[in-house]
Amino acid sequence: MIRFVDATKVYSNGVIGLRNLTVRIEKGEFVFIIGASGSGKSTFLKLIMHEEVPTEGEVYVNGYSVHDMVQSEVPYLRRSLGVVFQDFRLLPNRTAYDNVAFAMQIVEATAREIRRQVPLALGLVGLSKKARAYPDQLSGGEQQRIVLARALVNNPAVLIADEPTGNLDPKTSIEIMNLLEEINQRGTTVVVATHEKSIVDTMKKRVITLERGELKSDVQKGSYFDEN
Amino acid sequence: MKIRTMKLLIKEGTNNVIKNKLMSFASIMTVVATLFFLGIILLIAINITSNIEAMKRDLEITVFLNVNATNYQREEVVSFIEAKKEAGVITEYRNETKEQMYQNIKESLNDDSLLEGFSVDNAAESFYIKLADPNNSDEIITEISRFEGVNNNNGIGYGKEELDKLEGILKVFNYIVMAVLVVLMIVSIFLISNTIRLTVFARRHQIEIMKYVGALDSFIRWPFIVEGLLIGFIGAALSFFITSQAYQWLQGVINAILANLKLSTLRIMEFGPVAFRIFIIYSIFGIVIGGIGSLLSVRKHLNV
Ligand SMILES: Nc1ncnc2c1ncn2[C@@H]1O[C@H](COP(=O)(O)OP(=O)(O)OP(=O)(O)O)[C@@H](O)[C@H]1O
Ligand SMILES: [Mg+2]
Repeated sequence: MIRFVDATKVYSNGVIGLRNLTVRIEKGEFVFIIGASGSGKSTFLKLIMHEEVPTEGEVYVNGYSVHDMVQSEVPYLRRSLGVVFQDFRLLPNRTAYDNVAFAMQIVEATAREIRRQVPLALGLVGLSKKARAYPDQLSGGEQQRIVLARALVNNPAVLIADEPTGNLDPKTSIEIMNLLEEINQRGTTVVVATHEKSIVDTMKKRVITLERGELKSDVQKGSYFDEN
Repeated sequence: MKIRTMKLLIKEGTNNVIKNKLMSFASIMTVVATLFFLGIILLIAINITSNIEAMKRDLEITVFLNVNATNYQREEVVSFIEAKKEAGVITEYRNETKEQMYQNIKESLNDDSLLEGFSVDNAAESFYIKLADPNNSDEIITEISRFEGVNNNNGIGYGKEELDKLEGILKVFNYIVMAVLVVLMIVSIFLISNTIRLTVFARRHQIEIMKYVGALDSFIRWPFIVEGLLIGFIGAALSFFITSQAYQWLQGVINAILANLKLSTLRIMEFGPVAFRIFIIYSIFGIVIGGIGSLLSVRKHLNV
């Protein structure tokens, strides 16, 4: 599903984002990516979605050779991914419903499909009642749920989240993580970069630890303690 | 691309124009100004050309006979002119006899003492010939000058050369106008591309999200292109309206002046017959200016 083969990313200013990373994530897995600030977590996710390309090595995602991809193919790779960020990135002038529907319009879904799928996605994240609210009328946790609904509405094979709970309080963070787990149980591969020690420790998922761009450890049912 | 997607993209582009009121207005106004200028120049050129044509058709070849031309020599010239008239080369002609010429001179001088020594016998008969096609004038003049009875020294006159010179000047004028027009178009394109750049900037978050969700490049680009086309077309339509009003007003004023000056051959044309042509030219120019303007901006700033 996701495969890095000896992948290295050197940014244009010479800073190394990732160094000789080889890792494999199978279909249906739930994986945490952890590590200190600057260790390469975001770089890892950016290589998956072709926001950056590896300087050396190979990256395979959902059957695409991301390391050597023509620009016109990128939208199709992105459609096989759902993406969630720390800073939500919702359109402020559209309702919750329209934000989710927007993702379907972009991939040219029919009005009928949109009317069917959007309420389902909003229901899945538990926000059916707030469909008509605008982002600034929603709490941070609610906004992130909308983002999750948007990421899921096109049924992506893989969901990647870069510190999805970074702007949320502990209780809301746990709710969002539980939601991610639920999404994973429905069959979606989930990859989460995070700093949340306690959540990682309690969820007992696979944990990939990065350090200065290199793979430090990769443990099934891991915790933050495995780092030491 | 699917129909519903096209509808969506056109709606987005239209919304951009409305949301971006001030810059849209400024861009539309530059298009209006550019096209108005284009239209006025075009209409001036059309009028000058048509008036030159009319003047040419109105031109007469004047042929003076020699003072002592014989009756036979006179008949030769008349039958030549009649034959050409039969053939349709000459549309009409009139002649002025010696007596008429004498009378005319007498009247215009208004003082008999100046006429001393000048009698009917010193006057010459003349012919005034109108041609169906002014371009045949050289040929006719050469043929007619061969006749014995025709005064070849200063007997044949025709004003075509002057009009040809006028046409030459008109051509130079056209080139200058074209140069100014190109500059104006570049300014309009620049302004439109700037407007679109602002829209691109205002919507950079949306564009980013669209890219993450997997929007095709064309899907991201089209609303901006629609925006440019729309600005161009609105500008064209508005400019057409202003041009037609201004022209019709001017036409009335200038025609009245011309009538007062008794310049009956000169006329400012009606707007009606050229309206459709002008509208098409405006639309094409407007759409091209708008399209290029937005394409430039989208390519440079969207980076998709
Ligand atoms: N666009 C960029 N240009 C240059 N250097 C970059 C760029 N993005 C990241 N880096 C550098 O690459 C390294 C890895 O960055 P990355 O963002 O992957 O870390 P991270 O693990 O996500 O950190 P954080 O936990 O703070 O988000 C850092 O040293 C960072 O400064
Ligand atoms: Mg990061």
